[in-house]
Amino acid sequence: MKKILAIIRKDILLRFSSPAEWLFFLILPIVFTVVLSMGTPSENADHRSVLLVVDEAQTSLSREILRQLEKSSVVRPVETNRQDAEQRFRERKVEFWMLIPEGVTEERQQKGEDLTLTFYEQPNQTIALAARRSVQESLRAVTQSLQAAQFAVEQAEEVRPFENEAQRLAYYQEARSLAIRLQNEAPERLAVIRENTPDSVPYDPRANSSAGQLITWVFIPLFGISVLMVGEREGHTLARLMTTPTSAGTFLAGTILGQVFLALVQMALLIGFGMVVLKVPWGREPLGLALLLTASALSAAALGTLLGTMVRSTSQANNLSIMLGMVMALLGGCWYPLELFPQAVQTAVKILPTTWAMQGMLDLTLRAGSVRDIWLESGVLLGFAAVFFLVGIWRFRRQLR
Amino acid sequence: MSAIVLVQELVKTYGNVLAVDGISFAIEEGEIFSLLGPNGAGKTTTISILSTLFPPTRGEAWIGGFSITREPMQVRRMIGVIPQEIALYEDLNARENLLFWGQMVGLEGKVLKQRVDEILERVGLVEKARQPVKTYSGGMKRRLNIGVGLLHAPRLLFMDEPTVGIDPQSRRAILDMVKDLNRSGVTILYTTHYMEEAQELSHRIGIIDHGKMIAIGTLSELIRQIGEQEKIILSFSEDQHLAPLVDDLNALAGVNHVIAENHSVTLIVDKAEEILPEVMQWGHQRGLKIRSLQIEEPDLEAVFLHLTGRALRD
Ligand SMILES: Nc1ncnc2c1ncn2[C@@H]1O[C@H](COP(=O)(O)OP(=O)(O)OP(=O)(O)O)[C@@H](O)[C@H]1O
Ligand SMILES: [Mg+2]
Repeated sequence: MKKILAIIRKDILLRFSSPAEWLFFLILPIVFTVVLSMGTPSENADHRSVLLVVDEAQTSLSREILRQLEKSSVVRPVETNRQDAEQRFRERKVEFWMLIPEGVTEERQQKGEDLTLTFYEQPNQTIALAARRSVQESLRAVTQSLQAAQFAVEQAEEVRPFENEAQRLAYYQEARSLAIRLQNEAPERLAVIRENTPDSVPYDPRANSSAGQLITWVFIPLFGISVLMVGEREGHTLARLMTTPTSAGTFLAGTILGQVFLALVQMALLIGFGMVVLKVPWGREPLGLALLLTASALSAAALGTLLGTMVRSTSQANNLSIMLGMVMALLGGCWYPLELFPQAVQTAVKILPTTWAMQGMLDLTLRAGSVRDIWLESGVLLGFAAVFFLVGIWRFRRQLR
Repeated sequence: MSAIVLVQELVKTYGNVLAVDGISFAIEEGEIFSLLGPNGAGKTTTISILSTLFPPTRGEAWIGGFSITREPMQVRRMIGVIPQEIALYEDLNARENLLFWGQMVGLEGKVLKQRVDEILERVGLVEKARQPVKTYSGGMKRRLNIGVGLLHAPRLLFMDEPTVGIDPQSRRAILDMVKDLNRSGVTILYTTHYMEEAQELSHRIGIIDHGKMIAIGTLSELIRQIGEQEKIILSFSEDQHLAPLVDDLNALAGVNHVIAENHSVTLIVDKAEEILPEVMQWGHQRGLKIRSLQIEEPDLEAVFLHLTGRALRD
């Protein structure tokens, strides 16, 4: 145990023997976090993208769609006429516009006819994807209330048929407004439903940037455990250590725990920054957060350990750590919301620990999740850690022969 | 059994390479024992196995009665190892290095600090103790590398070519330190490819080549092995391409071995005065100007040449 502490102390001295380390430990992560959290919708300003809406239908249904769009966190609907919308779109002054054509009525919707709205978007706009998703979400909200009303009428009819069409309509209107009111008055319940729909984009640049940058800049030095391991081999200090009464297990434990400890300190500092400066709600669930951070750090440390048995030189280990860290962070949704990626990619990147770490951290910050909500993520991360550690330690011991 | 090191039929293969090929020897407590051999002879491999860095492919060895394969931790507690390659943390200073390595051999607290100060004194790095090792000269690094191996005052010290690549002054200091340590009771296994070092330091010498121990004994025992032979060294004044000329010398009766270098030729012969006239004539015929001529008692170089037919230093 004393030897493990001595190894940890030595590694900390080594890591901070160059002042440049502070750049990677704290300065760059904070700079990137701040830069990427810009464009945040603050309390007073509306930073949502403008969505021109041309309402040629002018029915209660189309008005309802507009009302729902107003709630979007991605787009801000602005009504205009078709000519204006087309011109501004041609001149690329707007990224997209939407047409609600004539004939979009509740009656037709009730009869189950297919009503088509048209969404025009400029090519190659990632924001367009988010906007389209947001519109679809609004439409779903509208149709849900319509369906609820329709369902209520059908149920009522089964119990007791209406005497005339007017009575039936009145009942429908009442059921519908009840559904809308329920939807509006119970936003929490609504939020829960939305959270589970894969198309929703719960995106807050500050939380995303705080969590994403934290993962990026903590994972890279943890992958750097490989650099330490190869460095000890290259520098012949590992061979010397293996002639002192110190076991290979003690060496690995000290080397890994030292970096995990530094990672936890680094995460604590970055989270402190996120809470104080960016007001990211990291503190809701301290226990869950501690669990998630530890699991994340261990998974990255384990991958670093495995890497350390596979690379030949420190420069190779260094490059690979940075490259893997960056690529895994990008694909894991640490730099852009994962929801902007195609579904296939979203599924594929589930093999990366960064994806799970990011998801867990967003669960805790954006979605106000509790410990229960991050069991899965923490479990998967610890699973990664177990597998990588087992293979890494096995390979390391075999290489000592 | 009073042998502090006992080695039996040690074999180590790296894939197809037979690095150590059935080596056996024993070292008595209090001895300086040298393993002398050219590059790639298997010196480092032997020392690594004895320091329990990796197990032998076959064979066994005991250090202070402990088996290197079955009781490596006990062995490690007994030995101090000074590796051939400098094994230090370049970004840390001498004191930090010594403190760390001291903890790795189980020292702590006051004793550790005291030992570190003693070692710094001993290797002459007190003034430089707070500067990072990467700013040191080669000789200073070598000395610190040795100091680390002395921290826990081991009874048995393995020194693997500790004087490679340093200036004559540092080398002198290291050789004196080795003798000094031995006087204070430390048993030393020393490897080198410099015969002068082996000659100066050792009580006994093992000559190793291609993984095999080809001779073992005290200096005089080894020299006696090659019988009554003498060494003639001829130096020439200008650069001559001597290599093609020495075949003729080989053919002379009574000449056992010839080593040609840029300015000189070394001959191992049975009787120097009998062969000298013929050698002078050989030089004269080829128009070589002989600048000096020495006749010496045979040394380890001659022994190695006699046993392998090759010079030690290539
Ligand atoms: N890790 C290794 N893998 C493969 N071959 C090796 C390895 N280490 C040493 N060898 C080979 O084993 C043989 C003995 O090497 P060793 O290092 O023991 O020699 P040495 O006597 O210490 O030489 P030197 O004076 O150059 O230090 C050499 O042929 C060397 O090439
Ligand atoms: Mg060697």
